[in-house]
Amino acid sequence: MNRRIAYRLGGVLVALALLGAACGSDDGDEDVADEPAATTEAEAEAEATDATEVELTQAGDDLLGTVLARGELKCGVSGAAVAFSETQPDGSQTGFDADYCRAVAAAIFGDAEAVEFTPLTAAERFTAVQTGAVDVLMRNTTWTQGRDTEVGMDFGPTTYYDGQQLMARASDGFSSSSTVADIGGAIVCTNSGTTTEQNIADAADAAGVSIQLNTFEDFDIVTTNFIEGACNIVTTDGSALVGRKANQQPDGEEWVIFPPTPISKEPLGPTYGQNQSRFADVVNWTVYATIIADEKGITSSNVDSMLSGGSLDAEAVRLLGGDGELQSAMGLSADAFYQVISQVGNYDEIYSRHLNPVGLTREGSANAGWLDGGLIYAPPAR
Amino acid sequence: MNQGDALPTLADKPVIERVATRPVEETYRSPAEWVRKNLFPSPFNSFLTVAFGLFVLLTVRGLLNFVFSEERGWDAVRTNLRLIFTHAYPEEQYVRVWVCVGVMVALAGLSLGLFAARGDGVPLRKISNALVAAAVAVAVGVVLREPSVLIGADGEVVRTDDAVVRQSFADAMSDRWGWWLTAAVLAVIALGLRRVPALGDGSLRTIQAFNLAAIALALPVLSAWIYPWGHYAFAEGEFIAEPGRTVAISTKLPWTVMWVLAVASLLVGRWVRSRIGEQSLSRLRIAVNLVWLAVPFVLYWVVLRDPDLDWARITQVDVPLALAFGVAGGIVLWWLTSDGIGELGRIAALALLGLAAFNWLAAFMGWYPMLQKVRISFLLLAVVALLAHNFSGETQKRRRLLAAWLAIMAVFHYFATIMNTPSTVETPTEALIGGFAVTLVVAVFTLMLSFPLGVLLALARTSRLPIFRVMATSYIEVVRGVPLITILIFFVVILPLFLPANMEISLFASATLGYTLFSAAYLAENVRGGLQSIRRGQYEASDAVGLSTSLRTTFVILPQALRASIPPLVGQVIATFKETSLLAIIGVFDILRMANSVIPAQTQFLGIKREGLLFVSLVYWVFAYTLSKWSQRLERRLGVGER
Repeated sequence: MNRRIAYRLGGVLVALALLGAACGSDDGDEDVADEPAATTEAEAEAEATDATEVELTQAGDDLLGTVLARGELKCGVSGAAVAFSETQPDGSQTGFDADYCRAVAAAIFGDAEAVEFTPLTAAERFTAVQTGAVDVLMRNTTWTQGRDTEVGMDFGPTTYYDGQQLMARASDGFSSSSTVADIGGAIVCTNSGTTTEQNIADAADAAGVSIQLNTFEDFDIVTTNFIEGACNIVTTDGSALVGRKANQQPDGEEWVIFPPTPISKEPLGPTYGQNQSRFADVVNWTVYATIIADEKGITSSNVDSMLSGGSLDAEAVRLLGGDGELQSAMGLSADAFYQVISQVGNYDEIYSRHLNPVGLTREGSANAGWLDGGLIYAPPAR
Repeated sequence: MNQGDALPTLADKPVIERVATRPVEETYRSPAEWVRKNLFPSPFNSFLTVAFGLFVLLTVRGLLNFVFSEERGWDAVRTNLRLIFTHAYPEEQYVRVWVCVGVMVALAGLSLGLFAARGDGVPLRKISNALVAAAVAVAVGVVLREPSVLIGADGEVVRTDDAVVRQSFADAMSDRWGWWLTAAVLAVIALGLRRVPALGDGSLRTIQAFNLAAIALALPVLSAWIYPWGHYAFAEGEFIAEPGRTVAISTKLPWTVMWVLAVASLLVGRWVRSRIGEQSLSRLRIAVNLVWLAVPFVLYWVVLRDPDLDWARITQVDVPLALAFGVAGGIVLWWLTSDGIGELGRIAALALLGLAAFNWLAAFMGWYPMLQKVRISFLLLAVVALLAHNFSGETQKRRRLLAAWLAIMAVFHYFATIMNTPSTVETPTEALIGGFAVTLVVAVFTLMLSFPLGVLLALARTSRLPIFRVMATSYIEVVRGVPLITILIFFVVILPLFLPANMEISLFASATLGYTLFSAAYLAENVRGGLQSIRRGQYEASDAVGLSTSLRTTFVILPQALRASIPPLVGQVIATFKETSLLAIIGVFDILRMANSVIPAQTQFLGIKREGLLFVSLVYWVFAYTLSKWSQRLERRLGVGER
């Protein structure tokens, strides 16, 4: 009997110890933080705390320093946004947003792969920034006044100008020049719980037409209903509509997207916690560098030859780390933006790589360069 | 859970013999007679049979049309199998996943061999009937299904929309010769089984359940060698529709190994069981149960995570720390168990507990620094010290306590070190695993943590001490009054905001914590039901033989109470397993989220969602059904409901 008691208690206690160990891990990296090895327990403990405190004060002040010390950028993405951040069958992230994460990593570390992607839902994205779970959001987040002020975010330069549009069948008499005034009496479908619902209702009111608005849980279901004929018109951000049209339009049917000017403004760009100027500068100027390189025709394939051939103007040379460069002053290495362009590419390359295949083109849209009548513009690098 | 060791005598002989000697064959009825008696006994019942039969047929037809329609994007599922099961776990390290599966499979086979050597006999006639039913179902399905392909005048496939265009019925039937063949093969095997001559004494035309299971599992494994189920064709950022680069091709070998492992470990278990005596068998079973307890931790933290150990720190800090606690704690325990220490021992143990608690308070308030490991070690020492009086007296018992203490210290320090060491496995995302793996990990850890907590809560709720009773009751009632999703959102979204700035809690950890607290409240109620079914006489008898309260609870009350509450406990296990799908809502990329959001967002498979959801439901069903069957076996083995 005693033996069995002992075995049993032993078993229970080992289990308890395991549980204790499991709980211990919940509390994170206290034990990891104290790197300096010491000879006695007391010393180890004392040093551990010192190290933690020093690191903490640094972390509290400067996100860029924390990121540099960590050696990896934590980037919040959607993981489920067509062409912006898709999770591929091998688990890797691809897309426009994912590439901008890589661009920032290339600028900070000179290595575009030094990114840890954190797929986030729309609901948890701002909490993730506030708790420091991610450094920067590249999660098709619209820049709004409320988020900029009340929610406590800061926004970088817009990388993609989106806007809500409508999609209908050409056979129902719609064309790409139709307007909201033409949709009277139609069944319009959209996904619930977003601002799209409010926007289309407002636009229909303003145009003086009455519509029947049906909402579904997500846009996959909306599209299925549209294909099966339960909806005449669907509406959401233009980028999503174009993707749907490219992939799901049945043979023998033509879908059209209108009106040419979207009914809402959805500027999407990098988002980070407020009051982190040094980190914000790095993110912003990474985006600007891709835009300037696009303006000057510097691509990932020709950046080396252009640099060595001497065909670049002074601004481009400065940006790529030549004489008079300003990257060192930002806390980066001089060739930070050279790494961005050579490893990830310029704005047009990133855009074409991911958004052209789903049917989104820059020509004539707000996402054309400012020289071509679009809104993509960067301040000068000097 | 592992009640087998608690009831070594009940575990094998009586029940299995009862099963084996149960009359196998009922009186034979002709099929026509059976149909008349069961389906059309009266006009009203005939009407019900026809009405519900039609309903079932229509449902099945709809499902078949959906599944087999040429329009279905099953490629989305086939291509994304890796994503669905492990998310971004790197391919070059994938052997680790297989090692984990292999360890579980081998352990399961070993346990089956040790705990239930033979398994029930399944009559061949029953299998034959099942095969006939399957053949009929396949044939009916073939006839039911609508044609889904239109063949144009030139013999080309023109359109693949079943809703719009149909072939002639005859065309569709002849097109499905493969399915006809399947039905025919099933029928032939079924008839063949009926002709198997009686074996041995002619009384048992049965096959052992395990042999049957081995054959049944061999079939899908073999099929992977013939047909590429998984269509994994994604390499270097490109989708390749190239035959040959498929998941099944790359996983058929591992699955075959798994099958061999399962069968081999079962045979080893049986062999060992037949060779060793009753006492060593019961010890071996305890050992296997302990291994089961440790395996999830080892597999997740050591095998999957592959910690990047810092040997300098281990030799200079971790090992000395563990040794110090082992030796110093051992000395304290030796003293606490010495003869005639009496009340002084209890006071010392309480003082230790106070010190442990004070350490936590001090760490929380930041009065003086102390490693977390040290704080937990103190706590463990205090708990063991409180139990020490049970071991005082004989030298042998005291030695055992010391050995147990050293083992606890070793295990705890090992895991604490491993868990706080960064992983060497590089994934492109923050989480190490996702998909079904995370479902399993969260479910298993939740169960392992909530089970002891639930039992403690149940005991506290039935305790005679009002403070325990009130605390347990209010906890249970509060948790049961709040929806699970609310608790999860609280833990995942709000908890991180309340933590100190230097403390990070991972999404998994906080979700598991939420699940555990929720599940424990329900488990506690189930266990309390069992506790209340114990007759008063059991308590009185225990008191009469002079058992202390803790001994009475551990050896008399709890084993019976837990056995009585097996059905609701397994129900709770299955519920917890399925509730992990709520992870998708709080932003964990579990299997449901893969099918519901991630795959439909891939450019190639845009909007393809229904196929994935169907597949995910199938995976959930297979696991939940297996658990449910297993619980039925367990109930039978322990004789629940037979007294």
